[in-house]
Amino acid sequence: MDLQLALIFLQQGIASGLVSGSVYALLALAIVIIFKTSDVPNFAQGEVFMAAGYVALYLFVFQQMPIWVVLPATLLAAFLAMALFRRVVLDQVAKSAKDLVYLVIATLGLSYVLKGLVRRTGFGDTPRSFPALVPTDSVMIGQASVTLLDLAIFGTAVAVMAAFFWMFNYTKTGRAMRAVGMNPKAAQLVGVDLRRCHMLIWGLSGVISAIAALLISPKILMTADMGSIVMLAFAAAIVGGFSSLPGAVVGGFIIGIVENMVGLFISSRAIVLAPFLAILIVLVLRPQGLFGGKLTIKKV
Amino acid sequence: MKTNGIVRGLTLAGGLLMGLAAGAQEPGVTDKAIKIGIFGPLSGQNMAYGFDVVNAAKMYYDKINKDGGIHGRKIEYVVEDDRCNANDLVAAVKKLVEQENVFMLNGGSCSAAVVAAKDYIVRNKVPYLMLNASGDGALFPPTDYIFGAFSISQYAVGGAMVEFAAKSLGAKTVAYINHDDAYGAWNLEGSKKDAEVNGVKLVVESVNPTINDVTAPFLKLRAANPDAILLVTYARPAALLIKKAAELGFNKPIILSVTGTASLNQLVGNVGKDALKNFYTQEVMIDSPGGDKLKPIYDMYKAAYPDLAAKPDHPQTYMPYGIPPAMSLVKALQDAGPNPTREKVLAALKTQDFDSGVMAGRLQFGPQQRAANRSTIFIKYDGTTMAPLPGVFTSRWTYEAK
Repeated sequence: MDLQLALIFLQQGIASGLVSGSVYALLALAIVIIFKTSDVPNFAQGEVFMAAGYVALYLFVFQQMPIWVVLPATLLAAFLAMALFRRVVLDQVAKSAKDLVYLVIATLGLSYVLKGLVRRTGFGDTPRSFPALVPTDSVMIGQASVTLLDLAIFGTAVAVMAAFFWMFNYTKTGRAMRAVGMNPKAAQLVGVDLRRCHMLIWGLSGVISAIAALLISPKILMTADMGSIVMLAFAAAIVGGFSSLPGAVVGGFIIGIVENMVGLFISSRAIVLAPFLAILIVLVLRPQGLFGGKLTIKKV
Repeated sequence: MKTNGIVRGLTLAGGLLMGLAAGAQEPGVTDKAIKIGIFGPLSGQNMAYGFDVVNAAKMYYDKINKDGGIHGRKIEYVVEDDRCNANDLVAAVKKLVEQENVFMLNGGSCSAAVVAAKDYIVRNKVPYLMLNASGDGALFPPTDYIFGAFSISQYAVGGAMVEFAAKSLGAKTVAYINHDDAYGAWNLEGSKKDAEVNGVKLVVESVNPTINDVTAPFLKLRAANPDAILLVTYARPAALLIKKAAELGFNKPIILSVTGTASLNQLVGNVGKDALKNFYTQEVMIDSPGGDKLKPIYDMYKAAYPDLAAKPDHPQTYMPYGIPPAMSLVKALQDAGPNPTREKVLAALKTQDFDSGVMAGRLQFGPQQRAANRSTIFIKYDGTTMAPLPGVFTSRWTYEAK
């Protein structure tokens, strides 16, 4: 490979990696905010993402509703579904079984329910494309070609992440969520309504997943299995540090770029292995992730 | 005492004779009927691959019965739902063989599922003709009992595409995108002979079927400056690659394999018409679905299933694929003569060679050949109209024992 071609590959790989990485980062953010406050990895996050995409597709394409109705309706549906799942299912499971593993299994159950529901509708049988809301004309950045849609995906994802960081750091609700993540009992003692806070967190993770679905669905074709993209978000969260919000974001971008670089400079066959290789390397060299802070060992 | 001994002896001899006679009777064959077992996905998410294929096979058997049957016997069929699922398919096959006592089997629309039944069928020595599954994993290495790939063998898909790219488009360097699984390996293996004979250089990128971002493989192929791109993938990666080609301004011919889409309308919806300016799609039938040459099959379907035909989604795209395997079964039974045995039918199948009038090429089996079809046609598609191009393109691949 000559240098000129390598430079083109490098630029294109970074540009495309940042776009797909921004969506992985959003999903990783959704995973981490739940894990930080509930100690539960939500294995249904991918299916929430997928189901939200299908809700939008159904309303926009099959019901032909205007987009200004479709967007808030999809976000609201994702918020309510996740908040209610937390309130109705997880609270009940937590009451009857103290071990966290039962909560994890409940999230796995939700993933199967959502996938089954979408398959039942028949919409998930063939790959479908969600219409792009932004033109797909190409523009050149250096020697990399990206579409206006790519730029919109990246810009929106960064704006959404910035809004959530602002909320967590500068609003009363955000601080309450952080307090629940640090010490739920102490947070309750100072007046934080734990139940309401958990519902809000799960609801917000649903909203973030729905935004990710709305952004990426015009680019990747929708199928009932599209939730498998969540593996890349888990990889991003692990690389960045499972307890760090900025880490999840950086991890998302790293995974997106690594995927492209491995595909371009090593082999297309290795693209699917790249995230797992990144996880292995990070776990060996820095088990707490890049932004995970000090490694702590729990006494049992 | 003596009389009792004689009676006992006669009873025993009679019983033995009856037992021998019963043993000589072929399963599922009576003076008036031959019982066959049909199976396919009649429900579930993969129903589109086989529901109407089963209906097509049934209507062909009904036609044969109406015309007098085979050597005076009617075809009696029992139908089971396999849901394109390996467990369900094996259960259906066992039920048909052990409980329904069928003479032979005709079924299967999904390759991965039919492969699961291979050992059982070979062990029980039941003649088995697949429906539209390519099922290469069950066909090769060849056994005496399993015949299929009436739609097309995976080994032949890529070779026929290379042949078309070289002969019709004059391509010398061809970018070839397949999957990084067994199917991808098979179609690539089958393509090499055709590439070699045509002096075509293959530039290969193998991708995972679940890939989301196809930028990397596409850029690498574009860098090889190919004369055409062959997409030998499933629907989702194929559509992503067609979209990416349009985004990056690639304007050379794109040729999509028959496995690349179940619905061209859906493909247009997914990639947009602009992405299909220089686009060709492979078809294993003699004409595009619903085309003039296939009209008799569609008319037959309308007459056989008026209620289904009135529904917007029927007949399903793959409906005509059900006819050739049924023709093959009927021919084998005819060739086996008035006293058919499984051995006679299997012998007839091994030398079968006929033109179905449905598939692009002749359907041929041989001593080592278990995949019936290796030929395809190509259609120029611009997102609105389908224009079948002249010529039938046949893969040179043949099975060679390793």
